[in-house]
Amino acid sequence: MIIIGERINGMFRDIAKAIREKDPTAVQEWAKKQEAMGSGYLDINVGPAVSDRVSAMRWLCEVTQEASKLPLCLDSTDYDAIEAGLEVCKQPAMINSVPAVQEKMDRVFQMASKYNAEVIGLAMSEEGIPKDAESRVALAMELVANCDAHGIPISNLYIDPLVLPCNVGQDHGPEVMETLRQIKLLSDPPPKTVVGLSNISLGTKNRELINRIFAVMAMSNGLDAAIADGCDEELIAAVATARIILNMDIYCDSYVDVFKNQNL
Amino acid sequence: MGLSGLEIFKQLPKTNCKECGYPTCLAFAMALANGKASLDACPDVTEEAKEALASAAAPPIKMVKVGAGDRVIEMGDETEIFRHDKRFNHPTAVTVEVKDTDDLDARLAVINDLTFERVGQEYSVDMIALVNASGDAGKFKAAAETVKGKTEKNVVLVSEDTAAMEGALDVLAERKPLVYAANKDNFEKMTELAKSKECPLAVKGEDLNSLAELVDKIVALGYKELVLDSGSRETSKVLADLTQIRRLAVRKKFRAFGYPSIAFTSKDDPQEDLMQAGVYLSKYASIVVLKTDKKEHLLPLFSWRANLFTDPQKPAQVQPGLHAIGDADENSPVYCTTNFSLSFYLVEGEVSSTRIPSYILSVDTNGTSVLTAYADNRYTAESIAAAIKSTGLEDKVKHKNIVIPGLVAVLKGSLEDESGWDVTVGPREASGITKFAKEKFA
Amino acid sequence: MAVEILKEKYRSQVREVVLGATKDEGGTRSATIKVGGESTLPFLHFEGEVPNPPVVAMEVWDIFPEEWPQNLKDAFGDALNDPAAWAKKCVEEFGADLIALRFKGADPDVKDASAEDCIAVLKTVLEAVGVPLIVYGCGKLEKDNAIIGPIGEAAEGENLLLGVAEQENYKSVASAAMAYKHSVIAQSPIDINIAKQLNILISEMSTPLLDRIVIDPTIAALGYGIEYSYSIMERARFGALNGDRMLGMPMIGNVGHEVWSKKETFIPVDEEPGWGDQAERSLAWEAVTAIALLQAGMNILVMRHPQAVKLVKQNIDELMQDNSY
Ligand code: SF4
Repeated sequence: MIIIGERINGMFRDIAKAIREKDPTAVQEWAKKQEAMGSGYLDINVGPAVSDRVSAMRWLCEVTQEASKLPLCLDSTDYDAIEAGLEVCKQPAMINSVPAVQEKMDRVFQMASKYNAEVIGLAMSEEGIPKDAESRVALAMELVANCDAHGIPISNLYIDPLVLPCNVGQDHGPEVMETLRQIKLLSDPPPKTVVGLSNISLGTKNRELINRIFAVMAMSNGLDAAIADGCDEELIAAVATARIILNMDIYCDSYVDVFKNQNL
Repeated sequence: MGLSGLEIFKQLPKTNCKECGYPTCLAFAMALANGKASLDACPDVTEEAKEALASAAAPPIKMVKVGAGDRVIEMGDETEIFRHDKRFNHPTAVTVEVKDTDDLDARLAVINDLTFERVGQEYSVDMIALVNASGDAGKFKAAAETVKGKTEKNVVLVSEDTAAMEGALDVLAERKPLVYAANKDNFEKMTELAKSKECPLAVKGEDLNSLAELVDKIVALGYKELVLDSGSRETSKVLADLTQIRRLAVRKKFRAFGYPSIAFTSKDDPQEDLMQAGVYLSKYASIVVLKTDKKEHLLPLFSWRANLFTDPQKPAQVQPGLHAIGDADENSPVYCTTNFSLSFYLVEGEVSSTRIPSYILSVDTNGTSVLTAYADNRYTAESIAAAIKSTGLEDKVKHKNIVIPGLVAVLKGSLEDESGWDVTVGPREASGITKFAKEKFA
Repeated sequence: MAVEILKEKYRSQVREVVLGATKDEGGTRSATIKVGGESTLPFLHFEGEVPNPPVVAMEVWDIFPEEWPQNLKDAFGDALNDPAAWAKKCVEEFGADLIALRFKGADPDVKDASAEDCIAVLKTVLEAVGVPLIVYGCGKLEKDNAIIGPIGEAAEGENLLLGVAEQENYKSVASAAMAYKHSVIAQSPIDINIAKQLNILISEMSTPLLDRIVIDPTIAALGYGIEYSYSIMERARFGALNGDRMLGMPMIGNVGHEVWSKKETFIPVDEEPGWGDQAERSLAWEAVTAIALLQAGMNILVMRHPQAVKLVKQNIDELMQDNSY
């Protein structure tokens, strides 16, 4: 599983301040730190703090790339901001995200095709997040079909089955697991899967433990990527271990270090 | 491997009429992909769609047979790119080329005699490829007669001339030879010949594109017992083509390449010929046709084949029993190991490099290594003592001393009690044997 | 219908390792040799780069190789009595890309040659040939640990490929490489996990050494478990191409050493009539072993028989020809 480091987000105070003051220090520190701990992508989210999302996104992308060679995951509901980010990305980026809503899919897949970007597709429609796996998979299929229609390789599509906090949406848990499994049957090669990991533990008292356990359970159901705290040592050790058990990496005694140091 | 939801969905009527019991065609497609429904439940699926789905569900590479009776050779039916992912199923058929201009009596006598025994396995040449080098149909037919009379081996008939093929095929049809080859000019007639005699047919392209086109045309004529030749003859190009054929069939289920493949060496020098054959055998050829008929060339090739086509999930075994290394006699030392091939070979290699004639007693541990077999109660004082008895070791040597691996030093006492032999604890690793032997036996 | 050629896109490539050093680089070699660097599986030029062809090193000993079969000895003649002449013959007559100098005589049970004796031989060989050198000890740990430091020091800057570091005994070789600018053979016993771990252990001593490691996965001869080596090499290479940096080193195989102790290379035809002529069979055994390993990704083959070397080098030449579509 690839970790998409979530820390460069205007929701965090230090990043909001950095954006307001155009001081890249905090952004670049987090970029380096997440890269050094094995993240595969860096999520970039301007957050609620600014009004001009387009130029904020552009700036964040630029300064992040000065500090890290990781690809970026452009996280916004404002597609103009995403496009501004795509323009300055030095390597193919990931678009985060698009729901299974026709006009949004049209815009996003067009952009993805133009910039050779990957796409996170959400298993939700205008009606919201479905409860059962079957409806989630149906929405995933719509995303797959639209992706295919734009000539984008299905392996560039990441489906997010959408996770709800386990203290309010406990019954969604098994449905999410089932969705992860079924998505792999959608096409050949199948789409990839991604989750926003910390959603599962929102409002609970055991956040890190829940995140970690959910991550390995989801991995064994085929999860490919997670937007997560890329500096959580225990999470990273758990993911590295799950990768060994699932025969995704070749074992050696220092496998945790190898996973962490993969970007060095 | 099942079909994906998208593949199935594309074949459904997409009317969402709910007849199948599912709310949408998509839901039905997913149920099919999950193996929870059957296609019959949808009344509106077209015949075409059914056929497309059935063929997409077929194995990626068709099994094709050459030969008749108990000499049948199965080819194809492979599912892997890498041996370690599961296993390669059907060993490459090693085929020696002869020409209708050769002194066939002499050559066939040599080839018939090409049988080898090595580590308890017997190999022989699988097929001969009879080449219409004369270009003369009558000669080819006469040569086919000679082949029929002088060898029981399977045959590849090599001629792109349909008249010549027809004559030779008449003679040898019962052997179910491989008809080589249909090309872009003769394929209709060749297909008809192969089809009427129910023989496998090789398809020869000029490159991968023309090969795929030709296969489609022949399949459209209703024949599917095919073997593929891209037409390339340079080593690097053949490697690339064989790799593409295997990959496209297995990974993309590309139907035109879902058949076994054949590769010909192109060298006159027999050693270089062997090198090329080694490459093609390593990388996916179902049949390799080479020119050398020398034992000293074919033995290494057969050995490589035997190794490559073993099942990686099963530990490779050697024949349990007593193995003499060099001119072992009644005074020679006796080493004891398991019948796991890697352990045995390591010990054998080290013992033979001591240059002291010796015996190795290989105890049947079902192919497991010393420590595994010890933990598993297969390598015990009792099993070793029984092997000493059953192999007649007591009559072969005058002494009563046996060397056991250092890893199972704990067996010393119980084995001495059980067998009445003196037990010497050897080195822990095979690499220590040379030094050990020098001190003990030199 | 046009066939859509299936090209894999791998995440990574094999590390490129330079062997030897020219005058400008602090050594005395007439040219250096690069190995590795490929971004695809063996010889699949159609989907990636294979910037450096696999190379063949020929073995030279510090003592007369008494134990070799006669036909192998005959291929070299008198040169076997003189390591410098022997090495020269390998390079000039037989086209060896490198020389693998093996200090058999250092074995306490053979001649117990001292570090000074070894260095003297090394110097004459360095003088006799301009190709980069691989250096092996006698195979006895204690002795090898004692001589490797002085040997490394005496050839400081030459960028020798020093053998062999093992999991339980890597420090002396790695230190010699670090201190005197050489490269290292990291040997693991047909075990991919140990191969990976050993590279980590070595890199913990010195990170820059990562680009100076060559993996010896330990190969078995044809008919003696070569399939285990083959599959381990394929897995390691596949892992390397998919981003496993700790397995991304070029690989070396001690082909001659493994093959020429096996009975297929020395049993005469009258003892095994089914096996054919011994002289021809023995070199074919070595050549086919090498050919098979090339297909699993071997970068450096250490071999013995000149004719087997010739055949393998020709096979490499043919396989290096472009096969893109
Ligand atoms: S019966 Fe056929 S057409 Fe109707 S919904 Fe089911 S799959 Fe679709």
